Amino acid sequence: MTEALPPGIDQAFTVAAAELGMCSAAWLYVREVSDARGPEGVEALRERLGRTFPVLDAVAAVWLEGAREPTARTEAVRAALAGATRVVLVGLEAHFLDPLLPLLPGVDFALLRHATFDVNWERVLANYDGRLRPLDFDTFQAWAGSRSVLLTFAYGVHGASTHVIPSWLRVTGEDVRTQFRSLIAWDVLGAPMWVYPRWLVEVPKSAFTQVVAA
Amino acid sequence: MPPHAPPHARPAANATFVDPARVDLLLAPFVKDPASRAFVVRCLLGEGPTHHRGSNFVLLSLLGQVLEKVGGAPEGALDAEHPVPLRLPPHLAREAGPQSYPLGLSGAALERLAPKGSRDHESMVDCLCDGPPQHALANAAMVDLLHAVLLRLEARGS
Repeated sequence: MTEALPPGIDQAFTVAAAELGMCSAAWLYVREVSDARGPEGVEALRERLGRTFPVLDAVAAVWLEGAREPTARTEAVRAALAGATRVVLVGLEAHFLDPLLPLLPGVDFALLRHATFDVNWERVLANYDGRLRPLDFDTFQAWAGSRSVLLTFAYGVHGASTHVIPSWLRVTGEDVRTQFRSLIAWDVLGAPMWVYPRWLVEVPKSAFTQVVAA
Repeated sequence: MPPHAPPHARPAANATFVDPARVDLLLAPFVKDPASRAFVVRCLLGEGPTHHRGSNFVLLSLLGQVLEKVGGAPEGALDAEHPVPLRLPPHLAREAGPQSYPLGLSGAALERLAPKGSRDHESMVDCLCDGPPQHALANAAMVDLLHAVLLRLEARGS
Protein backbone atom coordinates (compact mmCIF):
# COMPACT_ATOMS: atom_id res chain seq x y z
CA MET A 1 0.00 0.00 0.00
CA THR A 2 2.98 2.32 0.51
CA GLU A 3 3.27 2.74 -3.26
CA ALA A 4 -0.21 4.19 -3.32
CA LEU A 5 0.91 7.32 -1.48
CA PRO A 6 2.22 10.24 -3.54
CA PRO A 7 6.00 10.25 -3.86
CA GLY A 8 6.45 13.75 -2.44
CA ILE A 9 4.44 13.13 0.68
CA ASP A 10 7.52 12.97 2.90
CA GLN A 11 8.66 16.42 1.89
CA ALA A 12 5.16 17.83 1.99
CA PHE A 13 4.61 16.52 5.49
CA THR A 14 7.91 18.00 6.64
CA VAL A 15 6.77 21.45 5.51
CA ALA A 16 3.37 20.97 7.14
CA ALA A 17 4.94 19.79 10.39
CA ALA A 18 7.25 22.79 10.40
CA GLU A 19 4.55 25.36 9.75
CA LEU A 20 1.55 23.86 11.55
CA GLY A 21 3.22 21.75 14.23
CA MET A 22 3.87 18.03 14.23
CA CYS A 23 0.59 17.02 15.86
CA SER A 24 -1.58 19.40 13.83
CA ALA A 25 0.02 18.25 10.60
CA ALA A 26 -0.33 14.63 11.65
CA TRP A 27 -4.07 14.92 12.21
CA LEU A 28 -4.46 16.80 8.92
CA TYR A 29 -2.60 14.13 6.97
CA VAL A 30 -4.26 11.21 8.71
CA ARG A 31 -7.69 12.68 7.99
CA GLU A 32 -6.89 13.43 4.35
CA VAL A 33 -5.35 10.04 3.74
CA SER A 34 -8.18 8.22 5.49
CA ASP A 35 -10.76 10.14 3.46
CA ALA A 36 -9.01 9.17 0.24
CA ARG A 37 -7.77 5.68 1.01
CA GLY A 38 -9.37 4.49 4.23
CA PRO A 39 -7.63 2.64 7.05
CA GLU A 40 -5.23 0.93 4.64
CA GLY A 41 -4.03 4.37 3.57
CA VAL A 42 -3.45 5.38 7.18
CA GLU A 43 -1.53 2.14 7.75
CA ALA A 44 0.55 2.95 4.69
CA LEU A 45 1.15 6.51 5.88
CA ARG A 46 2.30 5.19 9.22
CA GLU A 47 4.56 2.67 7.55
CA ARG A 48 6.06 5.28 5.25
CA LEU A 49 6.53 8.24 7.61
CA GLY A 50 6.05 6.91 11.13
CA ARG A 51 9.69 6.21 11.89
CA THR A 52 10.73 9.69 10.84
CA PHE A 53 7.80 11.45 12.47
CA PRO A 54 6.90 9.71 15.74
CA VAL A 55 4.03 12.10 16.46
CA LEU A 56 2.46 11.20 13.13
CA ASP A 57 3.00 7.55 13.98
CA ALA A 58 1.20 7.99 17.31
CA VAL A 59 -1.68 9.95 15.76
CA ALA A 60 -2.10 7.27 13.09
CA ALA A 61 -2.16 4.66 15.84
CA VAL A 62 -4.93 6.36 17.79
CA TRP A 63 -6.87 6.97 14.58
CA LEU A 64 -6.64 3.27 13.74
CA GLU A 65 -7.93 2.55 17.25
CA GLY A 66 -10.99 4.67 16.54
CA ALA A 67 -10.20 8.25 17.54
CA ARG A 68 -11.27 10.78 14.95
CA GLU A 69 -10.37 14.12 16.56
CA PRO A 70 -7.57 15.29 18.83
CA THR A 71 -8.48 16.34 22.34
CA ALA A 72 -7.77 20.04 22.54
CA ARG A 73 -8.59 20.94 26.19
CA THR A 74 -8.68 24.57 25.15
CA GLU A 75 -10.68 25.60 28.20
CA ALA A 76 -8.14 24.03 30.53
CA VAL A 77 -5.37 26.00 28.84
CA ARG A 78 -7.42 29.15 29.04
CA ALA A 79 -7.81 28.57 32.78
CA ALA A 80 -4.07 27.97 33.13
CA LEU A 81 -3.46 31.34 31.46
CA ALA A 82 -5.87 33.24 33.70
CA GLY A 83 -4.39 36.55 34.77
CA ALA A 84 -1.62 36.44 32.19
CA THR A 85 -1.14 39.42 29.91
CA ARG A 86 1.62 38.02 27.72
CA VAL A 87 2.26 34.54 26.40
CA VAL A 88 5.43 33.48 24.62
CA LEU A 89 4.88 30.36 22.54
CA VAL A 90 7.78 27.98 22.26
CA GLY A 91 6.69 25.91 19.32
CA LEU A 92 3.49 25.96 17.33
CA GLU A 93 0.51 23.67 17.02
CA ALA A 94 -1.95 25.51 14.82
CA HIS A 95 -4.87 23.16 15.28
CA PHE A 96 -4.77 23.73 19.02
CA LEU A 97 -3.69 27.35 19.10
CA ASP A 98 -6.24 28.65 16.61
CA PRO A 99 -9.31 28.09 18.84
CA LEU A 100 -7.46 29.36 21.90
CA LEU A 101 -6.55 32.81 20.57
CA PRO A 102 -10.13 34.14 20.25
CA LEU A 103 -10.80 33.07 23.84
CA LEU A 104 -8.09 35.41 25.12
CA PRO A 105 -8.60 38.72 23.32
CA GLY A 106 -6.77 40.78 25.94
CA VAL A 107 -3.66 38.64 25.99
CA ASP A 108 -0.64 39.36 23.79
CA PHE A 109 0.88 36.33 22.11
CA ALA A 110 4.34 35.96 20.62
CA LEU A 111 6.07 33.10 18.86
CA LEU A 112 9.70 32.25 19.38
CA ARG A 113 11.31 31.85 15.98
CA HIS A 114 13.27 28.69 16.60
CA ALA A 115 12.47 25.25 15.30
CA THR A 116 13.98 21.90 14.47
CA PHE A 117 12.67 22.04 10.92
CA ASP A 118 13.14 24.69 8.30
CA VAL A 119 10.31 27.18 8.82
CA ASN A 120 9.16 30.04 6.66
CA TRP A 121 8.36 32.30 9.58
CA GLU A 122 6.92 35.03 7.39
CA ARG A 123 4.33 32.60 6.06
CA VAL A 124 3.57 31.19 9.51
CA LEU A 125 3.08 34.60 11.08
CA ALA A 126 1.00 35.81 8.14
CA ASN A 127 -1.54 33.13 9.06
CA TYR A 128 -2.16 34.97 12.31
CA ASP A 129 -2.60 38.45 10.88
CA GLY A 130 -0.57 40.20 13.56
CA ARG A 131 -1.98 38.21 16.49
CA LEU A 132 1.39 36.49 16.98
CA ARG A 133 4.40 38.73 17.36
CA PRO A 134 7.78 37.33 16.34
CA LEU A 135 10.48 36.92 19.00
CA ASP A 136 14.00 35.57 18.82
CA PHE A 137 16.45 34.28 21.38
CA ASP A 138 17.94 37.71 21.89
CA THR A 139 14.59 39.43 22.36
CA PHE A 140 12.12 37.06 23.98
CA GLN A 141 13.04 38.10 27.52
CA ALA A 142 11.61 41.52 26.75
CA TRP A 143 8.29 39.75 27.25
CA ALA A 144 9.22 38.51 30.72
CA GLY A 145 7.28 39.66 33.74
CA SER A 146 5.12 38.64 36.63
CA ARG A 147 2.11 38.22 34.34
CA SER A 148 4.00 36.57 31.51
CA VAL A 149 3.85 32.91 30.58
CA LEU A 150 6.06 30.58 28.59
CA LEU A 151 3.87 28.03 26.84
CA THR A 152 5.01 25.02 24.88
CA PHE A 153 3.35 21.97 23.42
CA ALA A 154 4.03 18.52 24.85
CA TYR A 155 3.68 15.17 23.14
CA GLY A 156 2.31 12.68 25.60
CA VAL A 157 2.88 12.26 29.30
CA HIS A 158 4.45 9.08 30.61
CA GLY A 159 4.90 8.84 34.35
CA ALA A 160 6.90 11.80 35.54
CA SER A 161 8.10 12.84 32.09
CA THR A 162 6.89 14.37 28.89
CA HIS A 163 8.36 15.20 25.47
CA VAL A 164 8.72 18.70 24.07
CA ILE A 165 10.59 20.31 21.19
CA PRO A 166 14.29 21.04 21.88
CA SER A 167 13.70 24.81 21.72
CA TRP A 168 12.20 24.52 25.20
CA LEU A 169 15.56 23.50 26.63
CA ARG A 170 17.27 26.39 24.84
CA VAL A 171 14.81 28.85 26.35
CA THR A 172 14.35 27.79 29.94
CA GLY A 173 17.71 28.39 31.54
CA GLU A 174 17.94 29.17 35.24
CA ASP A 175 17.82 32.89 34.52
CA VAL A 176 14.67 32.71 32.44
CA ARG A 177 12.74 30.39 34.75
CA THR A 178 12.49 33.12 37.36
CA GLN A 179 11.46 35.76 34.85
CA PHE A 180 8.15 34.24 33.81
CA ARG A 181 5.20 33.67 36.10
CA SER A 182 4.33 30.28 34.66
CA LEU A 183 5.96 27.62 32.53
CA ILE A 184 3.17 25.62 30.94
CA ALA A 185 3.18 22.51 28.78
CA TRP A 186 0.07 21.70 26.79
CA ASP A 187 -0.09 18.00 25.94
CA VAL A 188 -1.60 17.91 22.48
CA LEU A 189 -0.87 14.27 21.72
CA GLY A 190 -2.24 12.47 24.76
CA ALA A 191 -0.99 9.14 23.53
CA PRO A 192 2.19 7.07 23.74
CA MET A 193 4.77 7.15 21.00
CA TRP A 194 5.68 3.74 19.66
CA VAL A 195 8.91 4.65 17.93
CA TYR A 196 11.96 6.63 19.00
CA PRO A 197 10.74 10.18 19.73
CA ARG A 198 12.88 11.81 17.10
CA TRP A 199 13.00 15.63 17.07
CA LEU A 200 11.83 15.77 20.67
CA VAL A 201 13.47 15.83 24.08
CA GLU A 202 12.29 14.21 27.28
CA VAL A 203 11.87 16.54 30.24
CA PRO A 204 10.46 15.95 33.72
CA LYS A 205 6.96 17.24 34.31
CA SER A 206 8.39 19.08 37.28
CA ALA A 207 10.13 21.43 34.84
CA PHE A 208 6.73 23.05 34.31
CA THR A 209 4.50 24.90 36.69
CA GLN A 210 1.61 23.12 35.00
CA VAL A 211 1.12 20.38 32.45
CA VAL A 212 -2.29 20.60 30.82
CA ALA A 213 -3.25 17.04 30.08
CA ALA A 214 -4.77 15.96 26.79
CA MET B 1 48.54 10.76 56.14
CA PRO B 2 44.89 10.44 55.08
CA PRO B 3 44.03 12.33 51.92
CA HIS B 4 42.08 15.49 52.38
CA ALA B 5 38.49 15.28 51.38
CA PRO B 6 37.93 17.27 48.21
CA PRO B 7 35.77 20.35 48.56
CA HIS B 8 32.05 19.64 48.51
CA ALA B 9 32.66 15.92 48.96
CA ARG B 10 29.63 15.55 51.19
CA PRO B 11 26.47 14.33 49.56
CA ALA B 12 24.56 17.18 47.99
CA ALA B 13 22.05 18.71 50.33
CA ASN B 14 18.54 17.65 49.61
CA ALA B 15 15.55 19.76 50.37
CA THR B 16 12.78 17.22 50.59
CA PHE B 17 11.52 19.04 53.67
CA VAL B 18 10.54 22.08 51.64
CA ASP B 19 6.80 22.63 51.80
CA PRO B 20 5.71 25.28 49.29
CA ALA B 21 2.13 25.31 50.61
CA ARG B 22 3.37 26.48 53.99
CA VAL B 23 5.25 29.44 52.56
CA ASP B 24 2.39 30.21 50.20
CA LEU B 25 0.11 30.57 53.22
CA LEU B 26 2.70 32.65 55.03
CA LEU B 27 2.99 35.12 52.14
CA ALA B 28 -0.74 35.43 51.52
CA PRO B 29 -1.02 38.78 53.37
CA PHE B 30 1.80 40.20 51.27
CA VAL B 31 0.89 38.92 47.79
CA LYS B 32 -2.87 38.72 47.46
CA ASP B 33 -3.16 37.21 43.99
CA PRO B 34 -2.71 33.40 44.18
CA ALA B 35 -1.05 33.06 40.77
CA SER B 36 1.39 35.86 41.55
CA ARG B 37 2.09 34.33 44.94
CA ALA B 38 2.74 30.95 43.33
CA PHE B 39 5.30 32.65 41.11
CA VAL B 40 7.08 34.14 44.12
CA VAL B 41 6.99 30.86 46.03
CA ARG B 42 8.42 29.00 43.04
CA CYS B 43 11.28 31.50 42.79
CA LEU B 44 11.95 31.11 46.53
CA LEU B 45 11.64 27.36 46.87
CA GLY B 46 11.56 25.79 43.44
CA GLU B 47 14.39 27.37 41.49
CA GLY B 48 18.13 27.72 41.92
CA PRO B 49 20.57 25.76 44.06
CA THR B 50 19.15 23.32 46.59
CA HIS B 51 20.83 24.96 49.56
CA HIS B 52 19.09 28.25 48.70
CA ARG B 53 15.71 26.55 48.46
CA GLY B 54 16.19 24.77 51.76
CA SER B 55 17.55 27.82 53.54
CA ASN B 56 14.74 30.00 52.29
CA PHE B 57 12.19 27.51 53.54
CA VAL B 58 13.76 27.18 56.99
CA LEU B 59 14.23 30.90 57.58
CA LEU B 60 10.83 31.90 56.26
CA SER B 61 9.07 29.14 58.18
CA LEU B 62 10.73 30.11 61.45
CA LEU B 63 9.89 33.75 60.89
CA GLY B 64 6.37 32.64 60.13
CA GLN B 65 6.23 30.89 63.49
CA VAL B 66 7.37 34.05 65.24
CA LEU B 67 4.71 36.06 63.42
CA GLU B 68 2.07 33.50 64.30
CA LYS B 69 3.00 33.65 67.99
CA VAL B 70 2.52 37.42 68.07
CA GLY B 71 -0.85 37.24 66.32
CA GLY B 72 -0.15 37.07 62.60
CA ALA B 73 0.24 39.84 60.08
CA PRO B 74 -1.72 42.91 61.22
CA GLU B 75 -3.73 45.22 59.01
CA GLY B 76 -1.31 47.60 57.37
CA ALA B 77 1.52 45.10 57.26
CA LEU B 78 1.42 45.12 53.48
CA ASP B 79 3.89 47.77 52.44
CA ALA B 80 5.45 46.94 49.11
CA GLU B 81 7.03 50.33 48.73
CA HIS B 82 10.13 49.06 46.99
CA PRO B 83 9.50 46.64 44.13
CA VAL B 84 11.97 43.79 43.75
CA PRO B 85 13.25 44.28 40.22
CA LEU B 86 12.97 41.51 37.67
CA ARG B 87 16.26 42.05 35.93
CA LEU B 88 16.53 41.71 32.18
CA PRO B 89 19.50 42.23 29.88
CA PRO B 90 19.98 46.01 29.51
CA HIS B 91 18.86 46.32 25.90
CA LEU B 92 15.68 44.39 26.68
CA ALA B 93 15.04 46.28 29.90
CA ARG B 94 15.05 49.51 27.91
CA GLU B 95 12.53 48.04 25.50
CA ALA B 96 10.32 46.35 28.07
CA GLY B 97 10.43 49.04 30.76
CA PRO B 98 10.94 48.32 34.44
CA GLN B 99 9.69 44.90 35.49
CA SER B 100 9.28 43.72 39.05
CA TYR B 101 8.21 40.71 41.06
CA PRO B 102 4.81 40.72 42.75
CA LEU B 103 6.41 40.81 46.20
CA GLY B 104 7.73 44.19 47.31
CA LEU B 105 10.06 45.27 50.07
CA SER B 106 8.71 47.19 53.04
CA GLY B 107 10.07 50.72 53.12
CA ALA B 108 8.62 51.30 56.60
CA ALA B 109 10.76 48.48 57.95
CA LEU B 110 13.92 50.09 56.63
CA GLU B 111 12.89 53.48 58.03
CA ARG B 112 13.57 51.93 61.41
CA LEU B 113 17.22 51.89 60.40
CA ALA B 114 17.63 54.90 58.14
CA PRO B 115 15.33 57.79 57.21
CA LYS B 116 13.37 57.45 54.02
CA GLY B 117 15.13 59.16 51.14
CA SER B 118 18.50 59.00 52.81
CA ARG B 119 21.45 57.51 51.03
CA ASP B 120 21.66 54.73 53.61
CA HIS B 121 18.00 53.85 53.12
CA GLU B 122 18.44 53.63 49.37
CA SER B 123 21.61 51.60 49.80
CA MET B 124 19.75 49.16 52.02
CA VAL B 125 17.14 48.73 49.32
CA ASP B 126 19.87 48.11 46.76
CA CYS B 127 21.59 45.55 48.98
CA LEU B 128 18.40 43.67 49.69
CA CYS B 129 17.13 43.64 46.12
CA ASP B 130 20.38 42.79 44.39
CA GLY B 131 21.52 39.32 43.45
CA PRO B 132 19.57 36.40 42.01
CA PRO B 133 15.80 36.32 42.47
CA GLN B 134 16.04 33.59 45.12
CA HIS B 135 18.07 35.95 47.30
CA ALA B 136 16.27 39.20 46.54
CA LEU B 137 12.81 37.75 47.07
CA ALA B 138 13.85 35.94 50.25
CA ASN B 139 15.29 39.20 51.56
CA ALA B 140 12.08 41.04 50.77
CA ALA B 141 9.92 38.35 52.33
CA MET B 142 11.99 38.29 55.51
CA VAL B 143 11.97 42.07 55.84
CA ASP B 144 8.20 42.10 55.31
CA LEU B 145 7.68 39.39 57.93
CA LEU B 146 9.94 41.18 60.41
CA HIS B 147 8.04 44.38 59.77
CA ALA B 148 4.78 42.59 60.57
CA VAL B 149 6.26 41.13 63.76
CA LEU B 150 7.51 44.53 64.88
CA LEU B 151 4.13 46.12 64.21
CA ARG B 152 2.49 43.50 66.42
CA LEU B 153 5.01 43.94 69.20
CA GLU B 154 4.67 47.73 69.08
CA ALA B 155 0.90 47.46 69.25
CA ARG B 156 1.35 45.51 72.45
CA GLY B 157 3.67 48.16 73.83
CA SER B 158 6.62 45.79 73.81
